[in-house]
Amino acid sequence: MLPLENLQTTMARSVLAIEPMVSAKMLTAGKADPLARLRIYQNNTRSSLTAVLMAVFPVTVRLVDERFFRFVASEFIRRHPPVESRLSRYGAGFPRFLKTIDTLSDMPIVAETARLEWAIAEALDTASLPPRSLADYDKIDLGPSPDILLQPSLRLIVSHWSILSLWTAHQQGTAVDRHCTWARRPERVALWRTGNSVHLVLLDRADFAFRHSLKHGLGLEHGASRALALEPNFDLVSALVRLFADGLVTNVRITVHNLSN
Amino acid sequence: MSRALQPLPIPASAGIGLRSSHIGEMLTRRPSAGWLEVHAENYMGDGAGVEALERLRQTYPLSVHGVGLSLGSARGVDPDHLERLRRVCERFQPDLVSEHLAWSVADGAYLNDLLPLRYDEEALSIVARNVATVQDTLKRQVLIENLSAYVAFADSSMNEAEFLAELVARTGCGLLLDVNNVQVSAHNLQYDARAFIDALPADAIGEIHLAGHATNQVGADTVLIDDHGSRVPPVVWSLYQHAIGRLGPRPTLIEWDTDVPVLDVLLGEAMWADMLTASIMFNREQAARHAEAAKPRPMSLTPFESVGTSMPVLAAFAAAKAGAAIPVALTPMEGGYDVAA
Repeated sequence: MLPLENLQTTMARSVLAIEPMVSAKMLTAGKADPLARLRIYQNNTRSSLTAVLMAVFPVTVRLVDERFFRFVASEFIRRHPPVESRLSRYGAGFPRFLKTIDTLSDMPIVAETARLEWAIAEALDTASLPPRSLADYDKIDLGPSPDILLQPSLRLIVSHWSILSLWTAHQQGTAVDRHCTWARRPERVALWRTGNSVHLVLLDRADFAFRHSLKHGLGLEHGASRALALEPNFDLVSALVRLFADGLVTNVRITVHNLSN
Repeated sequence: MSRALQPLPIPASAGIGLRSSHIGEMLTRRPSAGWLEVHAENYMGDGAGVEALERLRQTYPLSVHGVGLSLGSARGVDPDHLERLRRVCERFQPDLVSEHLAWSVADGAYLNDLLPLRYDEEALSIVARNVATVQDTLKRQVLIENLSAYVAFADSSMNEAEFLAELVARTGCGLLLDVNNVQVSAHNLQYDARAFIDALPADAIGEIHLAGHATNQVGADTVLIDDHGSRVPPVVWSLYQHAIGRLGPRPTLIEWDTDVPVLDVLLGEAMWADMLTASIMFNREQAARHAEAAKPRPMSLTPFESVGTSMPVLAAFAAAKAGAAIPVALTPMEGGYDVAA
């Protein structure tokens, strides 16, 4: 008789359809075939995890057709099952997995769109802190380069493809002309959670670099320097006003930065 | 961290499983629902659902039901996941916490399904150790739920009910009796569902689950699938009636996880559970009253006055029938029982 740990390992591999299967002699199922009953667990695992992926990647599903998505999802689940029961974390590796699918090699925008959808899923599961307003700092001297803390749900994505345009076109519930939206055109996207939904905006290179620096705690001076390097006409005041107006600023702290770059 | 929440004890009446599609309506309508139960794993992040649950918890008593702790895993429970569960309990301060007699993690993978154990001494020691770890961490008793199963292990040395009874004795845990799971497993593995319920330690049962299941025909095999995707079927109501007759009223949850209908359907199912329980308890009290009336006594109240039920319509209905044979059950439901199951 197998120790319980070995038995569970064998069963788990059988449920994930990885050979060798558990021996029928170890199982009973009344008058039924135990291996046929084992397939119920296989189906439950595959179908429930596929449903999780379909909920996270709805636009990707529409891009590739549901049947193909289910096929790819089955392979992903078999090769990369969840490692924890918090399923809101399952699917992080799916966009990268899509890039390995030969059939999709001439449609790189599919994996890129999945990357955007995963960022949306992450943002939806992240805290939304009370935003601060510019008026909160009217009479406070913050020094030349304060730390500006942004909403933890903020995600910044840059793609060679027009992923936000494509994603937006699929939110209307109408038929989409695929070819008109599959443009090879760089898009820089910022997204963050607002209540039950996610707010998405397109950024130019300078604003993207500015927000990227702030998000990673590099400070206002670093952010402004990078933005100005990319766009000499970068308007720092306007960029700051937009940050507050978007509800992205959660705190401003006085900090001294010693950065060489 | 949320502000301090008032303790709200879960009553021995029906509640509903809170599903994401109903959260908005629950917040705006605040319908009469005895209590709510949530899956712990859905509230381990920081999304909008978590904020909504904090608001609902101020109004409704709450039960936290774990589905991913994998208490039956030979390698023990994941300490990170247990810590997340502890934080959920700290945040929402539920009155009940429950998990399953099952495993779902092995070989580094989480299978998102609840798999059965081989019921033997080795598994009992492992589950008892895992349950003790959970109870020590949460500093509270947890309820352990019986499983719906499609296979069993040939080398089991005891049945599931015996296993659960011994687990209660070793750990002091409570039990969550899922009546639908009893029906599904009893049919699929061919044992007596009522005998299973009777074999459990009644005092340990702190909660009951009710749900629907699907019936699939695979060749000659009729298998019941625990999909939580339909109304509670008559055969499960019948088992529930048997359980309440033995246990008395218990907090009872309507579970619905797939093809989730509008909120009012869940509330309606909860109402039926309350009515059935009230009917059973009313009939029991009436039987006792009739037995007492058979003895010489100076004076008695009318049936309607004497019944301490919160369902006056039932009391009035039964009082109108006074003088007839004492009813023993809510008979209209019995006609539809699926004897094949």
